[in-house]
Amino acid sequence: MGIAKNIIFLLFFISNFVSFAQNNFTISGTVSDFNSNETLIGVSIAIPELATGVTTNEYGFYSITLPKGEYSIITSYLGFKNVKTSILLNENKKINFQLEEEAEMLDEVILVENVEKTDIRTPQMSVNNLAVKTIKKIPVVLGEADVLKAIVLLPGVSNAGEGSSGFNVRGGSADQNLILLDEATIFNSSHLFGFFSVFNPDAIKDIKLYKGGIPSRYGGRLSSVLEIFQKEGNSKEYNVNGGIGAVASRLLFEGPIIQDKAAFLIGGRASYAHLFLPLFNNDNKAYFYDLNTKLNFKINENNNIYLSGYFGRDVFSISDSFINTYGNSVGNFRWNHLFSDKLFSNLSLIYSDYYYGLKLDFVGFNWNSGIQNFNLKYDLKHYINNNLQINYGINSIYYQFNPGKIIPSNANSGIVEEQLIQKYANEFAGYIDFEHDITKQLSIEYGLRISNFVRLGQDEINIYENNNPVNFNPSLLIYQEADPIEISNSGRKSKLKTYSNIEPRLSIAYRLNSNNSIKTSYTRLAQYLHLLSNTSSPTPLDVWTPSGSFIKPQLLDQYAFGYFKNFNNGSFSLETEAYYKKIQNRIDYIDGANLIANNAIEQVILNGEARAYGLEILLRKNEGKFQGWLAYTLSKSEQHTPGRISTPTNGISPLETGINNGKWYNTPYDKTHDISLFGSYDLNKKWSFNANFVFQTGQPTNYPIGQFEFQGLTVPYYGSRNTERLPNYNRLDISATLTPTKNANRKIKGEWVFSIYNLYNRKNAASINFDRNNDTGVNEAVRTSIFGIVPSATYNFKF
Amino acid sequence: MKKIIFIVFISLLFWSCEDVIEVDLPSNKEKLSIDALIRIDNNLPSTTIKVKANLTSSFFDKIKPANLEKITISSEFNDWEEELTEEAPGIYSKIVATDNLNQEEITLTILYDAKIYIAKTTYVSSVPIDNLTQGEGTLFNDDETEIIISYTDNPNIENFYLFDFNFGEFLVSEDTYYKGQPFEFSFFYDSALKVGQSVTINLLGVDKTFYNYMNQVIVQSGGNQGPFQTPASTVRGNIITISEENSEENYALGYFALCETFKKTITIE
Repeated sequence: MGIAKNIIFLLFFISNFVSFAQNNFTISGTVSDFNSNETLIGVSIAIPELATGVTTNEYGFYSITLPKGEYSIITSYLGFKNVKTSILLNENKKINFQLEEEAEMLDEVILVENVEKTDIRTPQMSVNNLAVKTIKKIPVVLGEADVLKAIVLLPGVSNAGEGSSGFNVRGGSADQNLILLDEATIFNSSHLFGFFSVFNPDAIKDIKLYKGGIPSRYGGRLSSVLEIFQKEGNSKEYNVNGGIGAVASRLLFEGPIIQDKAAFLIGGRASYAHLFLPLFNNDNKAYFYDLNTKLNFKINENNNIYLSGYFGRDVFSISDSFINTYGNSVGNFRWNHLFSDKLFSNLSLIYSDYYYGLKLDFVGFNWNSGIQNFNLKYDLKHYINNNLQINYGINSIYYQFNPGKIIPSNANSGIVEEQLIQKYANEFAGYIDFEHDITKQLSIEYGLRISNFVRLGQDEINIYENNNPVNFNPSLLIYQEADPIEISNSGRKSKLKTYSNIEPRLSIAYRLNSNNSIKTSYTRLAQYLHLLSNTSSPTPLDVWTPSGSFIKPQLLDQYAFGYFKNFNNGSFSLETEAYYKKIQNRIDYIDGANLIANNAIEQVILNGEARAYGLEILLRKNEGKFQGWLAYTLSKSEQHTPGRISTPTNGISPLETGINNGKWYNTPYDKTHDISLFGSYDLNKKWSFNANFVFQTGQPTNYPIGQFEFQGLTVPYYGSRNTERLPNYNRLDISATLTPTKNANRKIKGEWVFSIYNLYNRKNAASINFDRNNDTGVNEAVRTSIFGIVPSATYNFKF
Repeated sequence: MKKIIFIVFISLLFWSCEDVIEVDLPSNKEKLSIDALIRIDNNLPSTTIKVKANLTSSFFDKIKPANLEKITISSEFNDWEEELTEEAPGIYSKIVATDNLNQEEITLTILYDAKIYIAKTTYVSSVPIDNLTQGEGTLFNDDETEIIISYTDNPNIENFYLFDFNFGEFLVSEDTYYKGQPFEFSFFYDSALKVGQSVTINLLGVDKTFYNYMNQVIVQSGGNQGPFQTPASTVRGNIITISEENSEENYALGYFALCETFKKTITIE
């Protein structure tokens, strides 16, 4: 691993060049919640005298180095009281801030809340922060507050509508999102096919979504990074909170193990098993549950340990003859260590897996598949001075893919036990990232990530003539699976294929004045894993596959440019961004490709390219009784799979058509217009009201251009891909939160949330199917819509 | 079996509601479509070749029969050729010796609208249905009728099967996970079959290309793919034009296949 050595060398080099300029001193420490000792992420620590400042990192740590002098320090954070301290800086100082929640202290409704205000200063762009408080305000179907439902209200983020898993960022597919829960990769973010996300909002502290300008510490997915931080647990007092909803109930318990030093958190959530009972007459079940656990232990000022875990499952069963179980499990160990007041480090050991299992009694077999990964990460944050911060680290992930194992479910079953060929890979990366304030106006963040992917040996590998697993049939004008000419066993120790990529990242911010700035960024990213999905949104059945001899890594180049403005003293903010993305090696599938239980997936895959571009506008009102935002996105997302340079077979070079005759076509997540409006209004201490409205151009789809008959079946046939669209999608949801006033004197604090989803009962099409009605024999276009108007009530409590 | 998983999977479309809506559809010029799936019973000395020729229509219109100028079936191997005769509008037939069909490559040649279309295919063998029994189980609702079908896979070769369950219900299966084994599975008829009604199930041997073709035909004619919609495409068969450039515009739809077929009938109790 030559790269690994170089990185390590680089790290040493950096550690040594730390300049100890005379008369400069460092203030460092952590910022936490006064009530719970829960560390706070992204707290702003400003030094007005120098017009400079820092924010706390993912573990609540900050460090800033300033010239000797007298300063005031203003610490501010959403929903918390600002703290202003004066210090005489004549030596290195350790200052831990404890912030008190605002709402609890005051009788009147808070008029000034430092909400998710736009950061004018830092070069970081294309990022959205959402506080859990905000997420919980957004009205959702059946009243279950939901992270993913909240982020699709942001500009540049959409999904395929109700009942669809995942989300699409800036015209990218759902598998291009890196979803990190306490730094562990989550492979499937949805429960019940996308009706709910796997994240329990009670257990979450903060979320951050990067849509572009992705810092070099992240890699492996092209479109976005969604970072979700779980709460650490209250080390001051025991706390229980929970909720009883129409679909699921939640309970979370946290408290100290050792006062102020160690704490635990355990949270569970489960839906009711009868959820779908009315739909079928049979005995069937459909439910999900998940469990979040966390332990933190503060060993001393310089060392913290965290253990966190997540386990979630979805279960469906129909008459006991069909049982489907799937879900993620995650475990991780993290150790924060302070080498000095300027050098923060974190070591993470992470295990995560995704399991998908089926029991099909009426066919006589069980099916198990999944993906496992072991991730070792070491990240350092080096606060050199108030103009320069350097982040660097390494990351190594070992993957094991089990595409499926078939086991006969009973003695009479004719099924032969079979293990589809397991695949193995290792992904290594090293990165360095500089956050550099060049002048008062100009800040630059530049970095480099070097990634290296090794597809490791496996038991069986197909070898094809001319190394070509897909043949083009020039007379039928279709792509066909090529038969392997040989099957070889490479042995597990060999390396089948190695890819290395250099991924530069650059973001520049230029501050026009204290309220206006322009930013621009360039990002290059490599993605080595591919989700095999031939559908418009992922299904739990989809299988991940690593890059290798036949499937190349996807490569992204993204350019973004933006203008940012705060006005009315920061109570309003405006963010506008334009982006252009180009992706190489985007896979697509030959017509009629079968992706399920396919041992030779390379036979149905063609490599193509994709591009997306768009304009995003986000206008936010950050303060006052009325808060909210308006997001508008104008965008285009396309894909292109041309015919390959033909390899001569028997002296003939067939002219390949490519997919869709080699022409560009809309991806299923191409939404020309996307408008989201979210507003919340605090009437008084008792009542608050929330509403959101969504409008989206209909999803690209296919309408038949004709029909023919075969064996009595009416078969619609189609022309160019994705040229038609479903009808436009729009919806209005409202909710009201009632906090009984008698709460103030009670130990148990309760709250009612009443919501109405899809207020005007619009039947938004999830799909339109064309088929013949068997009863009437007439051809029909049948619209499937998932939710009409859905009222619900949820009771949340805390004691 | 993959299909079964998939069908069950997509049927889990809960909470949803369906309604019929008006959609303006793009229209395309008429194309020739040929249904030439020939079922062969080797116990019979002769086989009736029956070919349906239609013209495609826009999805909401009626499909019309095509009036072919000429349709022949031939074999280069033993040098025979027979012309099919029109039995009814768009239906052409001819009785030929079974032994002529179940050996070498057979060609279907069609002359229509001054274009020549050809399709070549080779006979594929099948296996008998060992047993049909009626089960008690249901999957989604109590109206279903369960039929358990068992057969023994032909060992040593890769087999693809097409099941014709009648009532427009088809299923394809490949033997990947039951090579050479006796195998059984349950098929559920949606609406209750009447007591005393007899149901004939056909088991056809198909090759990989036709398996893929039928797979797409079944999915696209079934329509309801739920939220997991796969990109729809034109299901292209093996009928090509030789008188003009072989392009997207000039091909005909449909398929020509010769499949050994075993049947079994069960009376519903």
